[in-house]
Amino acid sequence: MKEKIIEVRDLNVNRSGTVVIKDANFSVEKGDFIGVVGPNGGGKTTLLLSLLGTIPKASGTIKLFGQNIDSFNEWERVAYVSQNAINFDEHFPMSVRELVALGRANRSNLGRRLNKEDWEAVDESMEFMGLTAIANKRVGNLSGGQKQRVFVAKALVRNPEVIFLDEPTAGVDASTQERFYQKLSDLNARKGTTILIVSHDLAVVFCRMSKVICVSRDVNISSITGEVDPNDILRPAYGEHFHFVFHKHECQGVFDDD
Amino acid sequence: MTDLTLLDIPRLLGYQFFQYALIGGMVAALACSLVGLFLILRKEAMIGDGIAHTAFGGIAIGLYLGIYPLVTALVVSVVSVLAISYMRKKGLAQSDSAIAVVLALGFSTGLIIISLADGFNVELFSYLFGSILTIDSSDLLVVAALGIISITFIGLFNKELLSITFDEDASRLMGIPVGPLSTAFNILVAVTIVLSIKVIGIILVTALLVLPGLTALQLDLSFRYTSVSSVCFGIASVVIGIMFSAIYDVATAGVIVFTSVGLFLFVAIYRRLE
Repeated sequence: MKEKIIEVRDLNVNRSGTVVIKDANFSVEKGDFIGVVGPNGGGKTTLLLSLLGTIPKASGTIKLFGQNIDSFNEWERVAYVSQNAINFDEHFPMSVRELVALGRANRSNLGRRLNKEDWEAVDESMEFMGLTAIANKRVGNLSGGQKQRVFVAKALVRNPEVIFLDEPTAGVDASTQERFYQKLSDLNARKGTTILIVSHDLAVVFCRMSKVICVSRDVNISSITGEVDPNDILRPAYGEHFHFVFHKHECQGVFDDD
Repeated sequence: MTDLTLLDIPRLLGYQFFQYALIGGMVAALACSLVGLFLILRKEAMIGDGIAHTAFGGIAIGLYLGIYPLVTALVVSVVSVLAISYMRKKGLAQSDSAIAVVLALGFSTGLIIISLADGFNVELFSYLFGSILTIDSSDLLVVAALGIISITFIGLFNKELLSITFDEDASRLMGIPVGPLSTAFNILVAVTIVLSIKVIGIILVTALLVLPGLTALQLDLSFRYTSVSSVCFGIASVVIGIMFSAIYDVATAGVIVFTSVGLFLFVAIYRRLE
């Protein structure tokens, strides 16, 4: 049996007095590549932030790596790329290399300069995300897709075991999105990194990922297999008239690099 | 006006008062430009102004009680910083409102004490507008000690401060102690302001905090080179200010601010013509 990375039991989350997540029960196992989908305002970001402990839960338990989220302190095993990444202040004076290097800051190297090992990890992470050629460019001068890759490189430089991404490709063109998701697939396949990604792109989720979490106050997790009709998974969240046209063989056409 | 000219600078460099002024001025410029850059990026430049005004109350208390005024200014400034942080944390006031309340209270304290006591108006004037050319060895020692504290803190926690400035929530998730470091940084702002009072005075200290960083930011460099440029602009402003004020017998703080603004405009125009 695979190691459980996240365990959620009877989770309820309220925001401004409204129930946003109701009685959620699910587990995420090591190596899972999960798409978190659902209608706008359905609670996807809230769910992600609750799992990270930044939004308080009303009741229930969340465990990360077997530890209760309230007392969890092994944050070096976890990385998070927020929705704001794309809204980077273009005047903020920071090079790609400097921003990626910030990912190496943690509690254990507080007040110390980054060492040789840290800088090697920075270079490796930039290389993995295809950023080496623009390492000294200012982040503010990059395109949306490049910025997004920089933020993922910053998250990866910590060698996290699980990475949470909140709509990382919002505002990015289709071909850049494809390359971006290819990188995440590589990461998942090569390093076994567990990935949870909030996405509106259902085709990407059903082509690339191993499981899907549907959030619309209720939370349901399903494995993505050829035998299951995506509509059976999605309709409880999106409504009974929802129809998603999807054929697994189309993934080959969508993602030429597969 | 004095009879001196720019050609007399080498001779001035031989005088102890001038050496003290330059060393004190450069330490203040170094600390201010490093701390100021973070303040600008955190969009908290006004906290500098607020703390400087409360320091006025501290100076007045020191003069009234016969205690070295920079010590009382430091105590009052640090207490003000903690009060602003507390008000924010407890939701008593937004950041700018909290600064406004503390600023007004600190300044009023100074006014009441001045009205109660007569006789230290001239000395108070030197703290309001700076008096770098009259700095003595004990002043220099205080400026240097506080400068070392500021610069060492920024040097040690540079990456953490940058991380918090850039993204507070992400920094918290990375295990960086965001709350304690932010409070420590605000205390550092108080320390930096107090060490700069002798150089540029309470009224204009914000200029030395903000202008070098703003000028450097226009160059569109990485953080490392923006910091270096900010320090260069800060030191250049202070050194030029001290030299011109010594030669032409005009207010040092005024010349420092004019030089800073001049550099800012020069870089702004140069960048637009590029």
